[in-house]
Amino acid sequence: MERRQRAMHSDSGSIAVGLPLRKTVVNSLLRLKHWLLGTGMRTGVAGKALVTLLLIDIGFVYLYPVLYMVSTMMMTLNDLVDPTVIWVPTEICLENISIAFIGMEYMQGLAQSALVSIVGAVAQAFTCALAGYGLSRYHFRGRNLVFAMVLLTFIVPPQTIIIPLFLLNRHLGWLNTNWALVVPEMFGLGLKGALFVIIYRQFFLGLPSSLDEAARLDGAGGFAVFTRVMLPISKPAILVVSLFSVVWHWNDYYLPTMLVSDQKKWSLVRRLHGLGAALDEIYGVNEYGMSRFSEPIEMAGAFLVILPILLLYLIAQRWFTESIERTGLVE
Amino acid sequence: MRRLSARMTLSRRRAYEGVAFVAPWLVGFLAFMAFPLAYSFYMSFTNVKVGPTSIELKWKGVGNYVYAFLSDNVFPVELMSFFQQSLLIVPIIVVFSLIVGLMLNSETWGRPLFRAVFFLPVIFSTSQVVLSLFNRGAGRIAFLDRFSVAEIVNTSLPDRWAGPVLAVLDRITLVLWYSGVQILLVLAALKTINRTVYEAAAIDGAGRWEVFWKITLPALTPFIVLNTVYTIVDLSTYPFNPILESIRRSMFDVRTGMGYAAAQGWTYFSIVLLVLAAVYAFGMRNVWRQE
Repeated sequence: MERRQRAMHSDSGSIAVGLPLRKTVVNSLLRLKHWLLGTGMRTGVAGKALVTLLLIDIGFVYLYPVLYMVSTMMMTLNDLVDPTVIWVPTEICLENISIAFIGMEYMQGLAQSALVSIVGAVAQAFTCALAGYGLSRYHFRGRNLVFAMVLLTFIVPPQTIIIPLFLLNRHLGWLNTNWALVVPEMFGLGLKGALFVIIYRQFFLGLPSSLDEAARLDGAGGFAVFTRVMLPISKPAILVVSLFSVVWHWNDYYLPTMLVSDQKKWSLVRRLHGLGAALDEIYGVNEYGMSRFSEPIEMAGAFLVILPILLLYLIAQRWFTESIERTGLVE
Repeated sequence: MRRLSARMTLSRRRAYEGVAFVAPWLVGFLAFMAFPLAYSFYMSFTNVKVGPTSIELKWKGVGNYVYAFLSDNVFPVELMSFFQQSLLIVPIIVVFSLIVGLMLNSETWGRPLFRAVFFLPVIFSTSQVVLSLFNRGAGRIAFLDRFSVAEIVNTSLPDRWAGPVLAVLDRITLVLWYSGVQILLVLAALKTINRTVYEAAAIDGAGRWEVFWKITLPALTPFIVLNTVYTIVDLSTYPFNPILESIRRSMFDVRTGMGYAAAQGWTYFSIVLLVLAAVYAFGMRNVWRQE
């Protein structure tokens, strides 16, 4: 870049001594071309603009349902039927939110969802790390078999085992209790537990084994090495696993529906479904099986359900980059 | 000799330690995966009667499987349409996530902002919230209506395929919403390519087009296989998965019962397993390896 600029300077110097004008025109055209299309591996402005435009387009596809939700939940019934009101409501109506809040018994649902998500995530973040560490750092007979079991667990759809799981929980007396939803997590299974074991294993494989060897020479036992040396430097992996675990537990619909039918213990997501069904009963449904008038309330409900996760993401994103940078320093 | 035996016990102690680390997971696996899996397999060959506290299994052989394919006139159709749709959805997601990952990795303006937006689907692609949004038609793309794509598809494709194609097009936004994790995987994969390789290529005078086909894409092939496998696994719990609904229905249906539901679950799982094995075998044979 610098060299090119210097070349330009010498060119403009040569005009002064009377070299043909054509050369400067060609030069500035070339410079324009490089600026637009880039040189070698460098992206030009045109390429950048094209990619940015495409990303804006695709990003809009992702934002559209969220924008639609936020816009619709603020609408009054008048706005809803008024064809001139498309995106921006004439007045901000927060009544829908309070109806959804009461209709879902929000605080009760929030407590339930938070409990299962947090306990599940903490349990998985620890036990999956144990298994991942054992699979990445130790050699023992049957290790490959255990890893094959992890892979099998990853691909079995929950629908295939739901009936025995239901019967097992009934036999243990855990149906309609939160135990049904968090005990498998305490063993590193449960919702996507196998995936987390795989993530941890991959992460530990990437760490130099000289770290644990050094700690061992200092006389630390296997478990001490794990808790005092490995876990403290595994913050990025722990963060990724806990964040995913919280989010997936929060959003899970299938297992809570099958194993917990007590209305008081419904998660927020389950309550949103209940709210929709109740509203359809009140407002009636059209030929598509839905009612236009209950829409703002349902959107408000959906917004309330994802709000805590959205807040968590906004906070965690900062930690995310921070911890990634910190691991960069370690390397 | 004595030293050798001391080493033996040390390595054996290490092995026991490793087993201890894996033990909690193994116990969980036996209780919450191996047992349910075996039991549901057994159930699929029986007639299950569930009382309030008891359960009675009566052996009936392959009757449930025979019923699934010969007498049930909904399940095989749903199975077929699900796999047809998957055949379209999986390549769309894999290619889409690859393109978006490459674009997010290139030099653009506002990259942090875009990354935040493209992470949204990972957070929100929940069954219920997204379902209620898409039930409201928020997932449709306007140009599909404007250019009457439905008509074109109906006239130009055979009936067998027109339905699945339309179903996928109808939910195309939702399909794109399901590529959140895959985009993250592509981004992580791009970080594994050594920068010096690009620099060397640039010195040799390779253009970006060549570099993409000869360096980036070959290096990404293992991750593309991984993405395909992940997408197939993820699709098996997709909220619009008709099989899921079908299994639920027969679970609480008195005529069919849980034995039949188990048979459906196993039929479905074995097909998914076969597809995964085929994809993996094919993918691994064509993966680019550094010499």
